[in-house]
Amino acid sequence: MTTVSREKKRGWLKEEFGNPERRTAYYMVLPALLIILLIAFYPVINSMWLSVHQSTITQTGPFNGFENYAGIFTNTDFLGGLFNTVVFTVISVAFEFVIGLGIALAINRAFRGRGLVRAAVLVPWAFPTVISAAMWRLMFQDQVGVINTVANGVGIISEPILSDRTLLLIASILVDVWKTTPFMALLLLAGLQTIPADVYEAARVDGANVMQRFFQITMPLLKPTILVAVLFRTLDSYRVYDLFWVMSNRQLESLSTFVYKGVRISQLQFAQGNAAAVFIFITAFLLALFFIYGLGMQTSTEE
Amino acid sequence: MASATATGGSRSGSANMILFYVFLLLFVLVSLFPLLWVFKMSIVTKSDLFQSPVTTLVAPPISDNYGTIFSNPDFRRALLNSSVIAGVTTIICLFFGAICAYAIARLRFRFKSAVMTTILALSFFPAVAIIAPLFVLFSNTGLINTYWSVIVTDTVFALPLTIWILVAFFKELPKDLEEAAKVDGATTIQAFRKVIVPLAAPGVFTTAILTFIFAWNEFLFANTFLFDASTQPVTVAIPNFATVYTVDYGAQAAAAVVVTIPLVILVLLFQRRIVSGLTAGAVKG
Amino acid sequence: MTERQERRPETLSGRRINRRDFLKIGGAGLAGAALLGVAGCGGGGGGGSSGGSGDIVFAMGPDTSGSLQKLIDKFNKENKGKYSVKYRKMPTDTGQFFDKIRTQFQSGGGDIDVIGGDVIWPAQFAANGWISDVSDKLSDSERSKFLDGPIASMTYQGKLYGIPWYTDAGMLYYRKDLLQKSGFNEAPKTWDELKSMAKKVVQDSGTKAGFVWQGSQYEGGVVDGLEYINSYGGKVLDPSDASKVVIDSPDSVKGLAMAASMIPDGVSPQAVTNYTEQESQTAFLNGEAVFCRNWPYMYALVGNPDESKIKTDQVSVAPLPAGSAGSVSGLGGWNFYINAASQKQDAAIAFAKFMADPEQQKYRALNGSFLPTLKSLYDDKEILDAVPVIALAGEALANTVPRPVSPAYSDMSLKMAEQFNKAFKGDVSPEDALKTLQTDLQQIADQAS
Repeated sequence: MTTVSREKKRGWLKEEFGNPERRTAYYMVLPALLIILLIAFYPVINSMWLSVHQSTITQTGPFNGFENYAGIFTNTDFLGGLFNTVVFTVISVAFEFVIGLGIALAINRAFRGRGLVRAAVLVPWAFPTVISAAMWRLMFQDQVGVINTVANGVGIISEPILSDRTLLLIASILVDVWKTTPFMALLLLAGLQTIPADVYEAARVDGANVMQRFFQITMPLLKPTILVAVLFRTLDSYRVYDLFWVMSNRQLESLSTFVYKGVRISQLQFAQGNAAAVFIFITAFLLALFFIYGLGMQTSTEE
Repeated sequence: MASATATGGSRSGSANMILFYVFLLLFVLVSLFPLLWVFKMSIVTKSDLFQSPVTTLVAPPISDNYGTIFSNPDFRRALLNSSVIAGVTTIICLFFGAICAYAIARLRFRFKSAVMTTILALSFFPAVAIIAPLFVLFSNTGLINTYWSVIVTDTVFALPLTIWILVAFFKELPKDLEEAAKVDGATTIQAFRKVIVPLAAPGVFTTAILTFIFAWNEFLFANTFLFDASTQPVTVAIPNFATVYTVDYGAQAAAAVVVTIPLVILVLLFQRRIVSGLTAGAVKG
Repeated sequence: MTERQERRPETLSGRRINRRDFLKIGGAGLAGAALLGVAGCGGGGGGGSSGGSGDIVFAMGPDTSGSLQKLIDKFNKENKGKYSVKYRKMPTDTGQFFDKIRTQFQSGGGDIDVIGGDVIWPAQFAANGWISDVSDKLSDSERSKFLDGPIASMTYQGKLYGIPWYTDAGMLYYRKDLLQKSGFNEAPKTWDELKSMAKKVVQDSGTKAGFVWQGSQYEGGVVDGLEYINSYGGKVLDPSDASKVVIDSPDSVKGLAMAASMIPDGVSPQAVTNYTEQESQTAFLNGEAVFCRNWPYMYALVGNPDESKIKTDQVSVAPLPAGSAGSVSGLGGWNFYINAASQKQDAAIAFAKFMADPEQQKYRALNGSFLPTLKSLYDDKEILDAVPVIALAGEALANTVPRPVSPAYSDMSLKMAEQFNKAFKGDVSPEDALKTLQTDLQQIADQAS
């Protein structure tokens, strides 16, 4: 390192920590960052390390480069899981967004009983997933399942829902939409609340109609909230695990069930399980970057 | 409260209003139906439950399942454990999350993107893959089988969401109030505490509820790090209303209903704050 | 720890690091740092490790019968001042129990001393050096007192890795009353007989289904699939060479084809491919099925009006129907395994042996209907009178076959569960399913050795 660059380095260090506002900023960011780093950093690095070694549950074998990664891409279980996960994520998040926005707009007004409506909407989200997956399995079941019975009676389906992988995937999407649309609606609603009423008043005075107001005021002003909500739902759906595992009784494979099997059940696919975990991590990361740079999600820009 | 009508058509006719309520009713029914069904499952006998959906519907109500779960000391203890874990996690998350989010939303400093990316990235690593090293960590620190093992991991996985939502909220708040406070001689911290926090109440409450629910429903960490009934939360206790081959669906349904009630109460209590908030009033006043 | 290192040869590169140690180093480094963040915050519940020299932790799923705690109390009383056992409840779900135990082993053994675990676990734990070899703790004459199945399931590379506790076997439940009405006085002896009887009885009585069993994609589906295959003489591993997979044989094809014919031939409902024990039980106890393959536990529910629409005198139990190689029952059950990292091996063995004693086994048989692993108890008049299913199960227990004893059984099970389920549904032919399994399982077996 040359003297010049060292000087430069000192220069920005002084600038960063000499400025009281910036120093305060670091003090404010540090605690949260430390908590996350202390707990998550080592395990994550450990998993990455294992993913490039010929590792087993008990031994870290010799370095083998990207062999484990090449392995997962020829593994039909992994590829099936990838396909299911992508289909599940795209369709469920799309439905959740559209319905969630509709609900948020509808209940963002004064009406009798809206407290109850809002509470009712949140209940599905609040219901523990471990239990709701088991309960839904029971509702889709052929003997006592109310949905299977109704669907059979109406003639939509002729076979047991739980015996068919495609029907199971559709059912999982339905359950996810039911469960997490309220989350979406609530976030969007809170976002709507931050749009000052006078902006709308001004637009109305200028003669803007409902559609114009929606596309020219609501959507642009809501964009930061929308992006955050959609990104989090996408990343969450992308890691779907217990819904598939419990409701389909292991028939549906997702990326996370593949990781689970590899890391926690299998004796032999430990390394591939770790590689799949890192794959999820990296693709999720790229997805987040796409939201930030591709869609202009605000993270750190000043205005 | 009038401020909340901002986007609604305030001059809509009564026919419109009726349509609105019909839509609302339908919507509430759809989202509540599965839960009502679970509730119904919790108040019928085993043989009625396993007869057919119609039998389940018309069967006379019983309270045996609630008796079963409440006479189980492990379940009662689990309710307490869940409250402590979820409550403490929420407080810690909000405290550190709000402070961090404010700095990111309002203050100028380098490495902002780096901080945000790290926070987001680490927490989106598949949890199942990092359980073993965490287990060792908690064993070595003596935190294994204590509330803290789960509170700490829950916090790590809930913080990013907390921070991101709060950043989005803080950014939307009008800047002039804060600046006015600073002109009046307030420090950054004071401006944050006296101006931003009250203004951001809807966002803060929303985040609090989401964090609480996340921690309340967390299963994987709790199931791995906690060994006995003195620390295990309800999500770990409920699946144990079963034997190796059979499941006591009635008791599980009853437990699920009981577990959901505190959340419903929470939402009812705070929904006014979540939504109507103080924003509009503050801007106008 | 030295024992395990001896067993594992160093690789040429010499870079092989023991993962447990690796985790420990990393964890310890982090531990100090993490403490800074959380120190001073008191813990929630009781601490992890147990105190006195003879205090041992016994891990087992919840026991609804209450008999387990009573026997533990008895042991503690008899060994006061010497040993003391603490019961730690594990998840009911076997998969979760396994997962939890494995995480603890993986991170250095945890503080559990004795595990009351599934019969399919020992080879997997033993291959990693996680559980103790107890060969010299159970003499040949002691061993011969136990049923062969449980002993075989715990014997890995010629060594014994556990003490037998209680056992389980697949059985055929049937509706005596309906069979009689259609003119049958006996349970079916073969699978073909079962099929024709089921069809006739369903026709005569209007019962919804003929035969229900466990066809879902899970461990139970593997047990059922293997029962069909084994009853026609098909095997997963070569009996003389456990590293050789022989599942793709004409015998196996016959067995799996029999299973796959149940739905198209109208004997089993289509939904049987997502049935576990719970669903099969529901169908049978509601009177909606003529035959049901299930474990002995179901017998106690038949007489209970809260659980069952049918009565004890309408039902009987028989060994599963035979294929060309006779009747075969899948072996289930739970045994004692000792944590190899435990400092209290003697106390652990003493407790396991105490529980396996005739007196304690009899107590569990009478109070909870647990099937004893001691042969002598199947002649015990008191047990046979009080728990009729144990008498009925005796015959089935003579034909039990354990699932493959392999260090990579979990991997094999996942593959078998998937292919069997596809074959049951008719998504793939039995021939193709077995061909796929032959390749996949051989690959697993090669990797495991």
